[in-house]
Amino acid sequence: MPYNVIVLIKQIPDIDQMKTNPGTGEPLLQNVPLRMENLSKNAVEAAVRIKEKNGGKVTVLCFGTDKSTSVMKEAYAMGADEGYLITGYPGNYPSVTAKALASKIKEIPHDLVILGNQSADSYTGLLPGSISAILGEPLLGNAVDIKLQEKQVSVVSALEDNNLEITAEMPAIVSVAQEINEPRLPPVLQIMAAGRKPINQSAASDLQVPEIKTLSNRAPKSDRKRIVFEDPAKGIEEVSKVIREAIR
Amino acid sequence: MKVLAFSDSKTILAQIISRFRDDAEVHALTHDTEFTAKFGAAKTIGMKGDILSGSVAKAIEKMQSDEGYDLIAIGSTVTGREVAGMLATMLSLHAVSEVNSVNLDGGKITTSRFFYGGKSLLTEESGAKIAVLAPGIAEAKESPGKTEVSEIQLEPSAVRIVSKTDKKGGSVDIEKAQIIVSVGRGLGKKENLEKVEPFAKAVHGEIAGSRPVCLDYGWLSEDRQVGLSGKKVQPKLYIALGISGQIQHIAGMRNSKLVIAVNKDKSAPIFEEADYGIVGDLFDVIAKLKEKVAQ
Ligand SMILES: Cc1cc2nc3c(=O)[nH]c(=O)nc-3n(C[C@H](O)[C@H](O)[C@H](O)COP(=O)(O)OP(=O)(O)OC[C@H]3O[C@@H](n4cnc5c(N)ncnc54)[C@H](O)[C@@H]3O)c2cc1C
Ligand SMILES: Nc1ncnc2c1ncn2[C@@H]1O[C@H](COP(=O)(O)O)[C@@H](O)[C@H]1O
Repeated sequence: MPYNVIVLIKQIPDIDQMKTNPGTGEPLLQNVPLRMENLSKNAVEAAVRIKEKNGGKVTVLCFGTDKSTSVMKEAYAMGADEGYLITGYPGNYPSVTAKALASKIKEIPHDLVILGNQSADSYTGLLPGSISAILGEPLLGNAVDIKLQEKQVSVVSALEDNNLEITAEMPAIVSVAQEINEPRLPPVLQIMAAGRKPINQSAASDLQVPEIKTLSNRAPKSDRKRIVFEDPAKGIEEVSKVIREAIR
Repeated sequence: MKVLAFSDSKTILAQIISRFRDDAEVHALTHDTEFTAKFGAAKTIGMKGDILSGSVAKAIEKMQSDEGYDLIAIGSTVTGREVAGMLATMLSLHAVSEVNSVNLDGGKITTSRFFYGGKSLLTEESGAKIAVLAPGIAEAKESPGKTEVSEIQLEPSAVRIVSKTDKKGGSVDIEKAQIIVSVGRGLGKKENLEKVEPFAKAVHGEIAGSRPVCLDYGWLSEDRQVGLSGKKVQPKLYIALGISGQIQHIAGMRNSKLVIAVNKDKSAPIFEEADYGIVGDLFDVIAKLKEKVAQ
């Protein structure tokens, strides 16, 4: 049977390209390109695979800024059918994000909501539980496999000491682990078509941002030697001495 | 001051109790009262029933209305983070997550955690009443203090457990290892571990790995995973083999004293975080290193 799946996608600065101020250690965010958060991609991929197998519709939701149309297009190119961008993202406040997203989710009929288990930049991991509690829908977390049968969703949930196979009635929330799939790289043609697809945009209202005082935000110091040997023979010669010294 | 401690990992729970028991009256919610009772919480509350996040959150919601805790301290596991997210909504309380160090000061709480995937260390002051604490918040130490043991029955959840497969955990504690040989996806396949083991032995090292190796492929058990969501290690010597060096991995090994990396890609970011790097095939390199080291 076809399923209506909502996917929550986050936009983040490309943390691999992000540098920190060599003097103060503070993150330099200017001119860092924005991209789709890692696990959001896995979530889109999981949803698109469900659609490809069973039919239905994939709707993506992002709480972001005016600049977030690019991640919506990325999701369209991967196979999402419709997208809602809520603007006004005030930064990393999971309770605010959960409320903004949940109020939109309530307006959209769905069988499943899929999101990442922990986002790659802030990795709070609080959204799955918060969204589940606001909507009153069961949460099946850290899924490495999803199976649907009629109105029943079953996932293999990768916990620290064991893998649990759990099941619940839909509508339900599923958070995914990075290991669930390999997100597709959409072909150019699809990327171009995605650029023309409309995006539903609205502004969040009534944000209650908690008071948090940042005392410091700095890169931990790294003073590695960074001696890299491109000639393995030479490298082995030198590094074996270093190892012998270190393990004495 | 009253603190409720919960974790489905009894190791982390013991650490949380040890962290707070001198400053606060700690109540510990556990699935293993016998083990947890040794760590000196004022009360030890055993949970009966399946430990599912929805059920645990409901139990804590009720305990909070009975006891009015100043802080709900939850161990960072998949289940723990889910419970924290639910409680933040159910109790309308501010929650901070993945905290590495915490200080309570009156109504305020100061917490440190990594941010930007591990690129920076963020210290904040907030009014959070829920804190998700990363493993290693304190050393777990047994205490002779008396504890009052009771039991509660968890409500059934809308989620049902169909089956459970234990992951074979090892007996190693890589957090204490002095020398670590860590393998990444560059290993190629599980069988290739046989080629790494003799090298690890030659340098007296424990084998650890990146997340895909431990979690995704299961080539190594999960208790050997190094990184943001794994173990934070600080050996004298960390040898990274076929690991690209994504920031989430670096977050777990950056306190190593000396880092050596082997990667066939000379632009791999691991070389930025290494003292010595060799560009080349890891199997060739370790075979030769092993001989040289043994000389
Ligand atoms: C919220 C979150 C938390 C995470 N937590 C962790 C964590 O705790 N720990 C962790 O490790 N990751 C974590 N990750 C994943 C992380 O982002 C990377 O995906 C992961 O570290 C990559 O593992 P890798 O280096 O083994 O694999 P890859 O990135 O695939 O790198 C493999 C490397 O091997 C090299 N190679 C291949 N063959 C050879 C050969 N024969 N000889 C030499 N070199 C070779 C390649 O050049 C490449 O650089 C997390 C991600 C997220 C989003
Ligand atoms: N601003 C956002 N907009 C849409 N989805 C989000 C947002 N923030 C987080 N998410 C989703 O929630 C998951 C977990 O995020 P977190 O709880 O912040 O670690 C992410 O992987 C995303 O799927």
